[in-house]
Amino acid sequence: MRKILILTLREYRTSVRTKSFIIGLLLAPLLMGGSMIVFMLLKDKVDINDKKIAIIDHSGIMADTLVKTAEYRNSHEIFDPETGEKVRSAYILEIIESDSASLFETKIKLSDRVRSKDLHAFIEIGPGIVHPADDPEKARIIYYSEHAFMDDVINWFTWPINNRVRQIRIDELDLDEEAVGDLFYYNYPERMGLINVDRKTGDVQDAQHTNELQTFLIPYIMVLLMFLMVMMSAVPLLTAVMEEKIERIAEVLLGSVTPFQFMMGKILGSISVSMTVSAVYVIAGIVAAKQMNVGDMIPYHVLPWFFVYLILFVIMVGSAMAALGSACNDNKDAQSLQFPAMIPVILPLFIMVPIIQNPAGSMATTLSLIPPFTPTLMIIRLATPVTIPVWQPFAGLVGVILFTLFSVWAGGRIFRTLILMQGVKPKLGNLVKLVFRG
Amino acid sequence: MNTIEIQNITKTFNHFKAVDDLSLAVPKGSIYGFIGPNGAGKTTTIRMIMNILYPDSGVIKLLGSEHLGTRLDRVGYLPEERGLYKKMKVKEILKFHAELKNGTDINNRINYWLKRLDLEEWAGKKVETLSKGMSQKLQFIATIIDKPEVIILDEPFSGLDPVNVDTLKNAVLELRSEGATIIFSTHDMNVAEKMCDYIFMIFKGKKVLDGTLSSIQDKYGNDTIRIQAENGRSVLGELRGIEKINDFGQLQEIRLSPSVDAQDILSAILQKTRVTKFEIARPSLYDIFIRIAGPAAKEEEDA
Repeated sequence: MRKILILTLREYRTSVRTKSFIIGLLLAPLLMGGSMIVFMLLKDKVDINDKKIAIIDHSGIMADTLVKTAEYRNSHEIFDPETGEKVRSAYILEIIESDSASLFETKIKLSDRVRSKDLHAFIEIGPGIVHPADDPEKARIIYYSEHAFMDDVINWFTWPINNRVRQIRIDELDLDEEAVGDLFYYNYPERMGLINVDRKTGDVQDAQHTNELQTFLIPYIMVLLMFLMVMMSAVPLLTAVMEEKIERIAEVLLGSVTPFQFMMGKILGSISVSMTVSAVYVIAGIVAAKQMNVGDMIPYHVLPWFFVYLILFVIMVGSAMAALGSACNDNKDAQSLQFPAMIPVILPLFIMVPIIQNPAGSMATTLSLIPPFTPTLMIIRLATPVTIPVWQPFAGLVGVILFTLFSVWAGGRIFRTLILMQGVKPKLGNLVKLVFRG
Repeated sequence: MNTIEIQNITKTFNHFKAVDDLSLAVPKGSIYGFIGPNGAGKTTTIRMIMNILYPDSGVIKLLGSEHLGTRLDRVGYLPEERGLYKKMKVKEILKFHAELKNGTDINNRINYWLKRLDLEEWAGKKVETLSKGMSQKLQFIATIIDKPEVIILDEPFSGLDPVNVDTLKNAVLELRSEGATIIFSTHDMNVAEKMCDYIFMIFKGKKVLDGTLSSIQDKYGNDTIRIQAENGRSVLGELRGIEKINDFGQLQEIRLSPSVDAQDILSAILQKTRVTKFEIARPSLYDIFIRIAGPAAKEEEDA
């Protein structure tokens, strides 16, 4: 154990003393924080250029309303009331007359005008807009633009069109608009967490509004942090071991330590590095969250799980990487082995969103109990506000411990043989043979 | 008492027998030279002694026991292919190796050996700044920094200039005088002849020589003549009774055919030219090596 600790200490010192480590440590949160600041700053910086939109109104009742509403908006809503500064785009509507015979040609011309930036978009309102039940096809409102899916202008049309339609319908039914006001009032359910009772004090904590920070961002950040730690500490073991093999450092060390001690020293060095970095980030994250008054949203009960799973994950991936590194003879070998070896680490990132959406579902449960995926997926499930059965993180932990032990055993057997063998190609068949036959 | 005892070890790599039924005993406090052509099995034997490779069969006892455990800390090993962490500083790397070996009085020994091998000024520099010769001396210090009882050096002098060879040779002798048992492999027969108490030669995985230089030479008898004569080699070619001539330019080494009298050869040469030196000797280690592993031996074997 003493020798493993000496090797660990060397690995740790070598990693944390480098300038790149310190720069990386500071730069990662700065980049993440910086991108959030840029996003916040740019959020209100909307496009304020005037937008010309053409209207083909087959109903004959909408164009005037839209023009008047747009004019009202342009004179009252696009300037900051305090500074008088223009803060939104003005909408300039152009009514296009078209009969059914020339409609298609008209739309082609309008499309060309949009392409040449003379128009922002054009909208076509169906003739049966007031009574869609009679013929839904005639009640369609079609918005044509180059980037229709992401275009926010379409949202503005919804209210004036539907408001006008509602008025016409009320008039047709000869109803008193004030008396039927409630008819158009929509009730929306609010998204709320659960009520908590403190078991010791009996204090009741009322339910709170849930938000995207709690539901999505925290699990996302935690799993991303774990991924970063593995990428930063365990994955580089492949090239580090390969270099020690190529530069013949390995055999010198093997005069003093056993191959297992050598490998474990490197892995424990990686764990120390990842623990240091993650502790810095977690503490900084908690301080920052408290400063922003969202400290109570941090799932503190998940943090011990996070660190336990992180340690095991680094050992699991680290021993595989060290074993593969010992099999490599040059950078080409390392490049061809690195990507397949990283698949179990990367794969959970692709299925992260469905797991966050339904952390208690059968897919999330099953996948999170498969050892290579457990550390990341179980952390996602634990970090969401949804309660998962208490036994599952423990069952996952047992699986991960067993798989990690296997990984170290198998990695050790490969490492022991290949670390001194030059020129042997790292084929999967050979590696498997070494694991089971030694 | 023997420091290392090897009994009938065999090691095979993919049907190739690298070491074949080898037995060896290295007495305490001796310098034991391992010689043999490239690929003969020297490094494999050394790696098995170091427990880096395991023999397929046979037993290796180091310092009286089969199981190395902490006894490995009492052995210093300098492999043939060696490297050091380039980004570490000279003193730092020596401390690291000494700690791995559980060494005592580390700082004093580091300072002593850095001074002894003229590396004192480089103590605070990174390994990557050292020349090849300096790195080799540093590696030597890293091997012996914890004052090991057994020192195994695989080609310790290769690539060094004569001054550095001399420095390391003296360091090895100093360590032996302090009681260490030393094994080293070399291709330099001169060094082996002059430094080793015992010489062991391995060829195609098998032991072909083992003993003191004198006992090895005795097996071959006085069949060698070293001669310096006017006109050099040209007068020797026509003589009968000569099996092989090694021409060193200023001196020729002649191997006599069996049952040929050296005096008859001398008379024959004197009839042709003036002789300035004539010595009847036992064969040199170099010659013995060539007799065993040279092209003639191979031809004989193939025939």
